[in-house]
Amino acid sequence: MTDAVLQAYRISKFFGDRPVLHGINFAARSGQAAVVVGRNGVGKSTLIRVFCGLARPSAGRLLLFGEEPFRLAAPQFRRLGVLLHQTLLYPNLSAQENLEFYGEIYGVAEPAAHAAQWLARIGLQRVAGEPVSALSRGMEQRLAIARAMLADPDLILLDEPFAALDPDGVQMLAALIKEALARQAAVVFTAHAPLEIEGVDLGLFRLDSDGLKPFKEENRRRAIRSLLRRH
Amino acid sequence: MLEGFGAIVRKDLRLEVRSGESTVALVSLSLLILVVMVLAFGPGGARRAEVAAGALWIALIFAGTLGASRALMAERESGCIRGLLLSPVEPATIYAAKLAVALIFMAEAGVAVLVMLVLFFNLEFGGGLLRLIPVFLLGALGLSALCTLLATVSGRVRAGGMLLPVLVVPLFTPALIAGSKASAALLAGQSLGAVATWLKLLCAFDVLFVTAGYLLFEHVILED
Repeated sequence: MTDAVLQAYRISKFFGDRPVLHGINFAARSGQAAVVVGRNGVGKSTLIRVFCGLARPSAGRLLLFGEEPFRLAAPQFRRLGVLLHQTLLYPNLSAQENLEFYGEIYGVAEPAAHAAQWLARIGLQRVAGEPVSALSRGMEQRLAIARAMLADPDLILLDEPFAALDPDGVQMLAALIKEALARQAAVVFTAHAPLEIEGVDLGLFRLDSDGLKPFKEENRRRAIRSLLRRH
Repeated sequence: MLEGFGAIVRKDLRLEVRSGESTVALVSLSLLILVVMVLAFGPGGARRAEVAAGALWIALIFAGTLGASRALMAERESGCIRGLLLSPVEPATIYAAKLAVALIFMAEAGVAVLVMLVLFFNLEFGGGLLRLIPVFLLGALGLSALCTLLATVSGRVRAGGMLLPVLVVPLFTPALIAGSKASAALLAGQSLGAVATWLKLLCAFDVLFVTAGYLLFEHVILED
């Protein structure tokens, strides 16, 4: 299993006495994508925060690139791209300045040019000079996705990345995920309901109080069919 | 390391230039404290140098606390501290950058305080004031180091901004005594050599809290 960039062994997370995650076993491998589905409040955001090393598991073992996150050397975080519920963008800096700043701290060559390229990719070049506080929620989400993927990371963890995106934004994100998989990155993201990305073999997992379980193929098809019928 | 340090400092200064929030708050607070001190003790009198030195350090301690906490609060309010923690920048480098920004804000407040001090206490622009610079810089460095570390801790609890001065003042007391004694002596016309003991105490304080902050920041900034 040398290509596993993230491995979780019986991870649990408690907030005080309240269990949020229980017995999570999971592995993310290079070139593969997985989507974690669960209802509101089941712990999807906590799962992403634990997976990226921001929150320490209460029990179990987590390995990021073969190391426990709290022992991982700082330069290794260049290989990790994370989208959280918060956009992690500075409201008083412009879209261009935000991407430039993150480009600089990630050691990207020519951060200004790189930021401009990303703004064009996500369709925000016309608001490059606008402060983030003036952008719509959907625009902020696009920018936050660009921030997460700016340095071409090997592991991409996205918390509800499709939230607030318009159909063009959904297409854009699907294309970015495909590109990331094509360069052998691992992609893990959360969603409220099962979904499919055309041309991508998505591993589908359900998160509930019993842990993280793969959808059975039959249930997976049924869930997707039911979702398509609803929309 | 230097890339991350420079980028964070530049970003914080850019945000400050754009909003001016910290500068306005620091200068206003310093002005308020000095006005209160002048009204309480009067601008003249035999103990003018001691009162002026006390006013300088009281203004600095509160302005410094405010400046350091704002540099970290801004990161927490927007959640961007998580963006920094998930980046390839070492937590110690983030601490060093935040310390540098707090020091810059404090130096800015210090210049304003010194000018107001001269005006309010009828001091003369001259050698006495210039000799204050090393004392002020040593005190400001220690205070910035202490405030940056403690603002990281207090930022994790509700009403942490209120808690910060309560944590800072007792710990800063040795440096406060050294700084105010040295400043009073210099304003009274004594040489830097005469206050060498106080300067050594300030240096020791700086080494202690800069090292403590550098080593502990990683442990206090991470989430549970």
